[in-house]
Amino acid sequence: MANATPVMEAIDETLAGKRPVFEVVYEWATTVDHKKIGLMYIFLALIFLIVAGIEAILMRIQLAVPNNHFISPQVFNQLFTMHGTTMVFFMGMPILFGFGNYLVPLMIGARDMAFPRLNAFSFWISAFGGLLLYFSYFGASGLYGAGSAPDVGWFAYAPLTAKVFSPGHSTDYWTLSLLLSGIGTIGTALNIVTTTICMRCRGMTMMRLPLLVWLFLITSCMVFIAIGPLTAAQIMLTLDRYIGAHFFDTQAGGSAVLWMHYFWIFGHPEVYILVLPAFAFVNEIVPVFSRKAIFGYPAMVAATVAIGFISLSVWAHHMFTVGLGAAGNTFFVFATMVISVPTGIKIFNWLATIWGGKIHFATPMIFCVGFLFQFLIAGLTGIMLSAAPFDWQLSASYFVVAHFHYVLVGAIVFALFAAFYYWYPKVTGRMMSETLGKWHFWLFLIGFHLTFDFMHVPGLLGMPRRIYTYEAGRGWEMWNLIVGIGAIFQVVGTVCFIFNLIRSCFRGEIAGHDPWDAWTLEWATPSPPPSYNFAIEPTVHSRRPLWDLKHPEDPDSDYE
Amino acid sequence: MEEDGVIQQQAQEDGNSTITEAVQLPASTPWPMVLALGVALMLTGMVTHWAVSLLGFFLMLRASWGWFFQVLPHDHHISIPVQAEILVITSTRTTRERLPEGFMHRKIIPIETFSVTAGIKGGIAGGIAMTVPAGIFSVVRYHSFWYAVNLLAAGGFVSWAGQTDAFLGQFHLKGLLAASAIHGLTSILIGLLYGAMLPMFPRKPILTAGFIAPFLWTGILYSVLGVISPILNARIDWLWFVLSQIAFGLVCGFVVNLQVKVRTPQFRALPFSVRAGLHGDHSDTKDGKQ
Repeated sequence: MANATPVMEAIDETLAGKRPVFEVVYEWATTVDHKKIGLMYIFLALIFLIVAGIEAILMRIQLAVPNNHFISPQVFNQLFTMHGTTMVFFMGMPILFGFGNYLVPLMIGARDMAFPRLNAFSFWISAFGGLLLYFSYFGASGLYGAGSAPDVGWFAYAPLTAKVFSPGHSTDYWTLSLLLSGIGTIGTALNIVTTTICMRCRGMTMMRLPLLVWLFLITSCMVFIAIGPLTAAQIMLTLDRYIGAHFFDTQAGGSAVLWMHYFWIFGHPEVYILVLPAFAFVNEIVPVFSRKAIFGYPAMVAATVAIGFISLSVWAHHMFTVGLGAAGNTFFVFATMVISVPTGIKIFNWLATIWGGKIHFATPMIFCVGFLFQFLIAGLTGIMLSAAPFDWQLSASYFVVAHFHYVLVGAIVFALFAAFYYWYPKVTGRMMSETLGKWHFWLFLIGFHLTFDFMHVPGLLGMPRRIYTYEAGRGWEMWNLIVGIGAIFQVVGTVCFIFNLIRSCFRGEIAGHDPWDAWTLEWATPSPPPSYNFAIEPTVHSRRPLWDLKHPEDPDSDYE
Repeated sequence: MEEDGVIQQQAQEDGNSTITEAVQLPASTPWPMVLALGVALMLTGMVTHWAVSLLGFFLMLRASWGWFFQVLPHDHHISIPVQAEILVITSTRTTRERLPEGFMHRKIIPIETFSVTAGIKGGIAGGIAMTVPAGIFSVVRYHSFWYAVNLLAAGGFVSWAGQTDAFLGQFHLKGLLAASAIHGLTSILIGLLYGAMLPMFPRKPILTAGFIAPFLWTGILYSVLGVISPILNARIDWLWFVLSQIAFGLVCGFVVNLQVKVRTPQFRALPFSVRAGLHGDHSDTKDGKQ
């Protein structure tokens, strides 16, 4: 049992009849251990990934051929709303904060989060937010006054969300569930910031923090700034809908553009809130599998801080089509383009880290390579869209859908998969199958490119977003069919991954404590780590404390 | 043992640490979950029934009460026994080789690089140099230096893109300010990027900055400007555009190359004789001994 995960221990003991199911469930429900909470976040997010993935597939089936009536227009609207909302709020953020919860205290040599009970509360309120969102399906057609699922898009633009255009309670479900998850997100961010600032082990100065911790710190600071406006807007919308306030009611002096400002002041930093943790994973994985120290650590930190600041000033590039005026457009075009500088610095530093390294193409590394390539392309289409005239023509087209999926899937999901393969041995004590991992990579890579490369084309040909179906003869048929086939490839790849996760939990090769010969502190604990993390609180002298331990004759501290 | 990659956690001790027999950790508690459920039910009642909100309210009160006594007057802790023996961190796997530790493990390439300010200086110089071919083109073709200035300003003022050549040939203070801002900031940013890129191409920096980057940049613009602004696209003379870009790149690269390079941490790892300039760089010998 020495190498069993907490999950496996629980399963084994329950199956063997040593402990009743209720006791195991109670133990997990009442835990304040950051590692268990992290795992629960990840588990919750994977469930939502499956659900939102099914929603995506249903949409692609609907759009695969013209004049299709596989699902109704109303259901289609609900599907893209629930898919977007779920992927951003109940898959993306929870899974990233799950990793953060698990890794941050381990990487800084702490025993737990600064506020462990708040940590548990944050998880549970996020989970209940997700359940509330999906309860709208069960309450369909008026049961307990619940409408059907929300159908106003994940951005919920006013005045579509007004009572007159969106009767019933579906929009309220959307608003209330995101309010709940917002509380949880802020709680977790608060915990990460406080833990990082106050609970570092001896010797771990800020400039010795693992880059992962730095990036989670910046992300958490961004959460404070970004979630507030969204919460404010949701409360205002609730007041509009419940007591007849007119914040967004254009017929009564309110402003629909006000909603857009509030939403995108949250919405664009949100992209970076999702992508910075993905960068964090790549920052840890690329050096280990290149057998080189990260290139330009201070530049990486500075670029992260710069991205954090600049990302807060680019929200209106989502609103070029509103008609902001020349001065507004020029400012936001420029601000958006400026963000490519720190992002470019990061890409150069990753390439410099790989350059001349002894590269080991294990599964985590190949996912990182995929990430680098795809993030570059996503950045290029992002620069194209940051030009207001280009955006005017393509803002409401599938080109934009392709672009943001390139960022969210091509960069973030690939980095997430890399993180799963990399830290799975630490969490479970067992390796994930490399063979299945390679199958997963290639299937998902082919699927990803079939889907999102070719999705740009119908966008350029004028195919609008969010349409339920289309007529034949517009030149979109073949592209949509290819996109649909690509989606199937991605599903098969994901099934490989899920199968690998479960199978490796029981049959995976025993990993040992430090299977990748890595350098950060989490690998100085047993796999899986005990509840107290470190029997002795560690002391570090450089950015690669495990290197120093393995090579006392040539420690990093001589060079920093 | 260390040579085999075996780590003893004991080695983390700095003389003050001791292995304790038990660690105090926060005790498990159901109240955070119950409080979250209470808050969620309170909101759920808004879309279902007021009784649900009432239930949520009572759960919230009870959970707050319970949580309060979890932390006051003292945090509720439990003692977790610690595995007291020295923990040996190693891989027990036998079917997979550990990743190789090569001599390159700390190699930072290059050992000297340009500073950020070098890129900014290069960008400013390149930006000034670029105005020469652009100005010549403007004077030769439209008999006015201001044509090129106003054409650039039209990137900011959408309505200007449709103006006549005569209008663009006149002096407009607004156009001069806008063009200066656009050109200045873009030059600095591109200079910064050159500064970041040049260390990646240490052998032929001028070739990269002077020719490859301008051609790439022009190619990207050429392919998309027709979509971004067909009117601007029609007015740009691409031959002169490329010449201006090359002027920028050559001067920017030249100025960056004139700057003193900053040494990376890798340089400090070299033997003194190398750092003093007595011998060439044999940085691999130190790590190669491992």
